[in-house]
Parts: sequence; structure tokens; C-alpha cells
Amino acid sequence: MTNFLRKYRPFVSAGIEEAIVYRANFLLFALGNTLGAFVTYFLWKAVFQSSTNSSLSGFTFPEMVLYIFLSFFTGILTSSDGSSSVGDEVKDGSIAMRILKPISFTANYFYEEIGSKLIDVGVLAVPLFGGILIYQIVGTGTPVLNLGNLLLYFFSATVAYLINFYFNICFSFTAFFFRNLWGSNVLKNALVIFMSGSLVPLAFFPPVLQNVLKVLPFSSLLYTPVMLYLGKYSMQQTISVLLLQIFWLIFFIFLAKIIWHFAIKHLSIQGG
Amino acid sequence: MSMIEVSNLTKDFRKTIKSPGLVGAFKSLIKPKYETFEAVKNLSFEVPKGEILGFIGANGAGKSTTIKMLTGILTPTSGYCRINDKIPQEDRQNYVKDIGVVFGQRTQLWWDLPLRETYSVLKEIYNVPDKNFYKRMDFLNEVLDLNDFITSPVRTLSLGQRMRADIAASLLHNPKVLFLDEPTIGLDVSVKDKIRHAIEQINQEEQTTIILTTHDLGDIELLCNRVFMIDHGQEVFDGTIKQLKNRFGHIREIEFELVNAEDANRLNFSQFGSAIEYSQNEKNVRVKFDSSKVSVPDVIRLTLSQVDVQDISVKDADIEDIVRRIFRKEAAEHD
Ligand SMILES: Nc1ncnc2c1ncn2[C@@H]1O[C@H](COP(=O)(O)OP(=O)(O)O)[C@@H](O)[C@H]1O
Ligand SMILES: [Mg+2]
Repeated sequence: MTNFLRKYRPFVSAGIEEAIVYRANFLLFALGNTLGAFVTYFLWKAVFQSSTNSSLSGFTFPEMVLYIFLSFFTGILTSSDGSSSVGDEVKDGSIAMRILKPISFTANYFYEEIGSKLIDVGVLAVPLFGGILIYQIVGTGTPVLNLGNLLLYFFSATVAYLINFYFNICFSFTAFFFRNLWGSNVLKNALVIFMSGSLVPLAFFPPVLQNVLKVLPFSSLLYTPVMLYLGKYSMQQTISVLLLQIFWLIFFIFLAKIIWHFAIKHLSIQGG
Repeated sequence: MSMIEVSNLTKDFRKTIKSPGLVGAFKSLIKPKYETFEAVKNLSFEVPKGEILGFIGANGAGKSTTIKMLTGILTPTSGYCRINDKIPQEDRQNYVKDIGVVFGQRTQLWWDLPLRETYSVLKEIYNVPDKNFYKRMDFLNEVLDLNDFITSPVRTLSLGQRMRADIAASLLHNPKVLFLDEPTIGLDVSVKDKIRHAIEQINQEEQTTIILTTHDLGDIELLCNRVFMIDHGQEVFDGTIKQLKNRFGHIREIEFELVNAEDANRLNFSQFGSAIEYSQNEKNVRVKFDSSKVSVPDVIRLTLSQVDVQDISVKDADIEDIVRRIFRKEAAEHD
């Protein structure tokens, strides 16, 4: 195990170094997202004000506020794009250099990303999560702060991050097959945002669609941890959503292995 | 037991045929047309432990494609290679522990890291014990002169420096097999010299098995016990340099500069049969012949008896010449 850590530590530090180099970039990105979160906040405020009910689809306004900012924070916590360059590396052949090293290909990306994630989350956790906690403590009508829910949230968010990581690895490995058709992740990202509940809580969708979306892996990426934090689930529901998350994690780990197995045979390194 | 065993190794590439224009581009998106291109055809050879094999051939002959299959980054269409008792494609992580690879045209170093950091990272990745690491670094520093630039980020290195750094990186973990794909391409003489020296020394001290592809026949002549030549993906020669010279080295070339270009019509070498051929460009007549069948003085004597000559130059047969001639002949046959 120590040997394993030694072997991958350089990638963690390389990731950290890179994150520091690009921190201005990241802060701008975070600022943009924060603005987005506030826009969403005012939108919902208007919706709630124009409504005669004090709660919509089971959400009170303070719960909605928490949902908005928490799903924004969770999005950052669980985001994964460590493998986003696989397509480029396949195209220019530089992926060969990763393949020629006696390290696990997936672990390589994972540790690179962990490095930069430590920095990103470190920078944002204090102001954002601090803000969420303060709002919860001083705000009126907010759900009570609950240590159990907090722990469930962090466990579930960690699993969500891992699902997201392996999901993106699977997605990026398809670059091996579609070398020239490779465009962008825009469509994928839009779908994920919609289906994971980061735009609108899944509870607002029609029941049929809701039931489908709740079983699909996307709800495991964001909706599940946020709802756990808000204490929206009964004991039984909690167990079943966590089991579903773990199922999807195992599913994507295996899928990644299988795709890799076939992808590597398809690789044709150009140049040199 | 051979260190490297290659059997009927073949690689076909599937290329999409692009039709011209927008309509064509659209068509090939919907229903792509493919053609198969055989980059490597049926290569078989073995390399015993400790040998340096020179892998030569013209541009596009299939050298890099072969190296890529041997190193495990390309999967052969058919055939196999077994190196250090492993099939590269089957047991990647385990296999690459014991090999070193340098591609002359791309670096394996981390672009933004200072060189020294790169080596520390590699030390961890390959799990090299401290003692071996420092000993290795000392040795590499000495033969490759890394000290001048070891604190610079890789992206700031010159080509020659980068190549030396890359070769050092490939040797850090004391690999059993070393693959060098054009390690001296574009380098000046003094850097070439250092690199050749390092390769030679590592081979002698550690019994490292080495496959070296190159355009530079100097590399071959100085380093290789054996040459393997391919063209259009196929083997054309496998043997020692001496055998290569014996087999193809008889071909000689003499260039005559005539006084009058039209005199060339009077030239007649028919008495030598098919052992000789000539070509003319204005006043210059180039005569190529097999010196084991026709002697140089005979050719000169006959030519002087037929036409007025201003100047004569006899070309020496070196490997470079031999290889070029073989390829020209091959190319002519293919056209
Ligand atoms: N990934 C690829 N896809 C299609 N054709 C390729 C690919 N890589 C190499 N080729 C073709 O295969 C032939 C051999 O290339 P290569 O092995 O790089 O030659 P060399 O290294 O001897 O110069 C060339 O004609 C080249 O265009
Ligand atoms: Mg090449």
C-alpha cells in the first residue's frame, strides 16, 4: 500500500501544481457558477412568491434555497474531468507515453485529478459550505442541522464523485473508437445536468419521468447526496438510494474495464 | 532462449478514403469507404539477449509500426511477438517494467516539470531503490552530460538535450530490452557521438538487448552486430553488416563526364550483358555494374575507347549507397 501511494503520489502533486498554475482560471469558473446559482435563486424566489402554496413538490422555500446552493457545491465536489484529454491524447498519439509506463491507466488519471480537486474544494469549501451552514443556523424555517445527515451527505457525495469519475472514463475511452468524429462533451454535459437534478429537483418532474430518472445513474451523481443532506428520505429510502449508488459505481468500474479491454486493441498511434 | 521472438508479425491499417468536396465529406461521414493498407507484412526474427539489432529501411517502410507492436502500444493484425517471455499486448503493466522506449519524434518527459523532477517521478513509478537510482544517475550524467540542463523545465530544452534526457529516462530502471526509434534524428555530430557511446556502454555493461531503428548508417556501422532491413513492410535483408556488404556491395558506380553529350549514342556495353546498366543526363553518364562480374578497369577502358571523356569519378561502395540502391531497385519494381 505504501508502495502504491509512493508510485502515484507524484501525480497528486503534479495535479496540485497544475491546479495552482490555473487557479485564476478556476476562480473565474467558480465565480461564474456562483452567479449562476444566484440567478437560479432569484428565479425560484419569484416562483415561490407567485404561488399560493408555501411548498412546491414537497419543497419549502428555505429548503429550495439550500437545494440550490448545495447542489451547486455538490456539483463542484463531484465533478470529474481528469480524463477529458483522453480524446486529444488519442488523436495526437501522446497517449502512447501513458501506456508505456507500468502504472494503471485509470489510476493515473484518478490521482492527477485528486490533486487538483484537493485545491478546488479546499478553496471553495470554506466560503460556500460555511455560507450554507450559517444560512441553516440563522435562517428561519430551514431544516435543522443534523450530524447524521451531514455524514450521509459526505459519504454519498464521495460515491457520487467516484461514479462520475468512472462514468467519464467510460465516455472518454470511446474516443479510441471515434477518433475523427470526436467533437465535444457539450451534449453529454447538458444531459447530465438535466437528469442529475442539478437544474431542477427531480421531484418537480412528472411522476413517470421521475421514477425513470431516479433509477438511472444520473440521480446518483447529485440528487441523492443533496436529498440526503436535506433529510428528505426515510430510513428505508436512504438505504435503497445508497445501495443504488453503490450498484452504479460497481457497474461503471466494470464497464470501464471492459471498454478499455476493447479500446486498447483499437488504438492506432499515429506519427513517429 | 531469445530475448525477442517475432513471428509472422503483420499490421494492416484501415484508412478512410476521403472524397473531395462537401458532398464527399458528408458521404464519407454516413457511409465511410475503407481501404486496407499493409504497413508490416509477415515479419519473423529473433534477437538473442545482449544483441544490438539495427532495424533499417526507408521512410514509411514500417519501422515505427513494428516498434509500436513490439512495445505493446499497437495490436498486430496477425502474428505475435514475445519479449522477455511476455506478450506485450497481454500483460502491459508487467511487460513495460522491463523495457525502455525512446521515440525520436516525441518525448516521454513531462513537459512542464524540471528534468530532475521527471527522474524522481520515474524513480517512483518504476520503484527504483535509492542506491541504484543514484548510481544510475551518476553514470547517465557522465555519458550524456545532463548536468548542464537538469534543472530546466523540459519544454525549454533543445532537441539534442531533450533526446539525451529522453534516453536517460528510458535507462533509469535498467531495462532488459531497449527500443530506440530514430534516436539520432536531426542531431549534430557531437550529440550523436554521446548517444552512441551511451548505447554502446549500457549494452556492454548490462547485456541490454537493443533494437535501434535509424536512417543514419553511421549508427548502424558503429553499434550493430546485425542489421534487419525492411521495405514496404517486408524483410529484404537479415544478417551482419559484412554479409550486407558482400551481398550488395559488389555494385559499383562510375560517372563519366563526356566532351560532347551526343557522343552517348555511341556507347555500347552489350558485351557485358545484364551485369551493367547506364543512364545519361546531358554530358554525364552514370554506369552501374556488378564488380564481381565486370572489373572497374574494363568498364573504363571500354568507355574511353568509344567516346571522348573529360572526367571520371568512381564511387566507393558504402552501406548508405547499398541501402539506397536496394531501395531504388525495389521502388522501381513496385512502380
Ligand atoms: N495510424 C496509422 N494509420 C494509418 N496508416 C499508418 C498509421 N501509422 C503508420 N501508417 C502508415 O504505415 C506506413 C509505415 O509507417 P511507419 O511505420 O511510421 O514507417 P517508418 O517508421 O519506417 O518511417 C506508412 O506508409 C504510414 O503512412
Ligand atoms: Mg518512423
